[in-house]
Amino acid sequence: MLKKTAIHQLSDLTSALMGKGTLVAPVREDAGFNFREISDAKQVDLNFHNTIISPKSVFFPQTEDFIRYRTGRPLQEAETVEPEGKPLILFGVRPCDVKSFEIMDIHFSCTGAVDPYWQARREAATLIGYAFDVAAPAEPEEFYQTLGIGAADPEGSDIFMVRRGDDLILKSITGKGEALLAGIEGLAGASADDGKFFDDTVAAGRNFKTRFTCVDAKAITKKLEDLFHNTDFWEKASNACLSCGVCTFACPTCYCFDICDETLFGRGTRRRVWDACMFTDFTLEASGHNPRTKVYQRLRQKIGHKYSYHVRKYGVISCVGCGRCTRHCPVGIDIFSIVEEAMKA
Amino acid sequence: MAVSFQQIEEKLKTEARRLLESGQVSLVLAWGRGFDEKHPMPYVVKGASDVDGIVFNEFCTHNLARYLVRYPRGTKMAVAVKAADSRAVVQLIQEDKVKRHDLVILGIPVYGIKNPKTGEIIDGKTTCGLYNPVLYDILIAEEVHGQPVSSPYAVLAEYEAMDQDARFAFWKKELDRCIRCYACRKACPMCYCDPCFIDQNKPKWGEKSPETPGNLMYHLTRFHHLAGRCIDCGECSRACPVDIPLYLFHKKVAKECEEMFGQAAGMSIEDKPVLVNFRMEDSDKILE
Amino acid sequence: MSFEPKILGIACNWCTYTGADLAGTTRLQYPQNLRVVRVMCSSRINPSFIFRAFQLGADGVLVGGCHPGDCHYNTGNLYARRRLAVTKKILEFAGLEPGRFRVEWISASEGNKFAEVVTEFTGQIKALGPQTKFKIS
Repeated sequence: MLKKTAIHQLSDLTSALMGKGTLVAPVREDAGFNFREISDAKQVDLNFHNTIISPKSVFFPQTEDFIRYRTGRPLQEAETVEPEGKPLILFGVRPCDVKSFEIMDIHFSCTGAVDPYWQARREAATLIGYAFDVAAPAEPEEFYQTLGIGAADPEGSDIFMVRRGDDLILKSITGKGEALLAGIEGLAGASADDGKFFDDTVAAGRNFKTRFTCVDAKAITKKLEDLFHNTDFWEKASNACLSCGVCTFACPTCYCFDICDETLFGRGTRRRVWDACMFTDFTLEASGHNPRTKVYQRLRQKIGHKYSYHVRKYGVISCVGCGRCTRHCPVGIDIFSIVEEAMKA
Repeated sequence: MAVSFQQIEEKLKTEARRLLESGQVSLVLAWGRGFDEKHPMPYVVKGASDVDGIVFNEFCTHNLARYLVRYPRGTKMAVAVKAADSRAVVQLIQEDKVKRHDLVILGIPVYGIKNPKTGEIIDGKTTCGLYNPVLYDILIAEEVHGQPVSSPYAVLAEYEAMDQDARFAFWKKELDRCIRCYACRKACPMCYCDPCFIDQNKPKWGEKSPETPGNLMYHLTRFHHLAGRCIDCGECSRACPVDIPLYLFHKKVAKECEEMFGQAAGMSIEDKPVLVNFRMEDSDKILE
Repeated sequence: MSFEPKILGIACNWCTYTGADLAGTTRLQYPQNLRVVRVMCSSRINPSFIFRAFQLGADGVLVGGCHPGDCHYNTGNLYARRRLAVTKKILEFAGLEPGRFRVEWISASEGNKFAEVVTEFTGQIKALGPQTKFKIS
């Protein structure tokens, strides 16, 4: 099914979507754009390139409550927080971020144990993807083409949107998407010409150039393993690194978390919060020993995990080339260029 | 500017080469090429062959003093510093984190450094407003004069004029945005504590989750820990991915410390940091 | 029922706490809203105690120590004076009402002063009302 709407009537579309479930869409904020739950249809703003924090926070929130308890009471009285299964519409997700959900699925539902919180939201969500502008050059930090992702790839979305001038063309990709699209009133039918434009855009997206050249995942995996003990290489790569945590928090495919109990006045929650392997105390053990006290060890771990160990275990690089890590790094570290340097080393 | 960025870059390279070849230092902290022109990176030069990688342009905002404590005590280092960065070096010497005689300070007088996110020239509104280093061994360019002089605290007037409720609402809105990535802490040359208070469990000073209670404990305590130590370089605010104007609060604390104790951070290696010092003549009025 | 504030009092062992004891033994009357924590010296006070106290619902915080020059450990309160002055400025800039945090020098013999200060401070907090800005809800 192919539909169309004028951009200046976006709030009609978003308003209709709000009637179908919780709408999460890009919103302009002080520092940039972020995905937020929409309470006012006019808040949605598609005049963005990409969000500061990736949309992984929709399925894997930065803070997630698991158990609520009261101290001094029997364990049986603690309540489990039930996974949310409310219908959710995720609107305006770029192709690289759509792909990131598939990679994250590996960890949250495909290794035997299923994370019910992630799973419930994933199943309840309808994904409306949004193509990058193939007529404009890529941003300097992005490199998704290197990882086989096209600027207008519809795969993974339930509905995919392409901008044509002042209009938005929407195409259903899955049955779920078709059902949602059919239920939205007031959308104009798109013409055969719009259909051709859509397909041409997708094709152009597959050839859309971003930085770097296409990668051979297996070669990278092997090279990074070979370089593990080359301390000089890793020290040089990490000289500027502050070891903060911005790259991890902005990244769509980072999934480490910490479990903590936060108790106040006898009431508490056991919750999960995002953690980062870049933090100094990430590997601090109860004995007091920390195997990764040096910055180069942590940076080596980050790159090793994403581009080497992850490939060995799951066959895919844990990165979608969105460029957020590079864009938000306070000292401008370019993670993928370290991989390129490694290939040359 | 009388001296161009290009000339400063050349001079940095010359000095770095000389210092490394003579063995006077084992490393030089400067800036190097990043992924594009607008993003130079902190760069550690260990050999004369790496000197050509040195870059200096208007986006060299980073405070390289941040990296001094990463190296073992006694390491002979040269460090390239702009005005505020030189104050950080002075403060670190005051706190005995690095010894004066282990450093060769390459002072860079410069006006025209720009914020890469906004493209605006960095001045007293978001940093200390000085353009000439306060301590150096080698001056890389002529001192700069004639820039509009403004107090680094002028920008606070608007916030000091707000009533309590408006100001609280402002800070709550800003600090609620914090995602606890700790870029601010890591970008700061004075945040070298290991472990940092917020990472401790016994006692747990603040919640880990990025919500109001933990965020307030983290930031207010950090503002306190930097009292009389923050040299107003603005790196914390530039590092913040969600643009929280931390520099405003740090400036306020710096202003109060200067007024109450008569000393600004990082100006002389003979000073003692204000909160590890006292005078009998300190007035009780400061508690009013 | 009128508002009964919760006020945290942090008193140094040698001066203020002893002064409070004196107020007690001389049967001086003062409001019962103060919950006292004893520290060995006012300089033991970590400013985070104050921030956290307000988060945990304190309507007011009163710190008492020896007079500068009379610290049992010679110089403790001289550091505390500077440190707590900064704490006060931070709380105010963050938007907390200035009257909610107070530092007083009360010696072991000043039982009267202790009772007066507590009475005055409690009245002040009552007038300000419950502290809601920092309190974790």
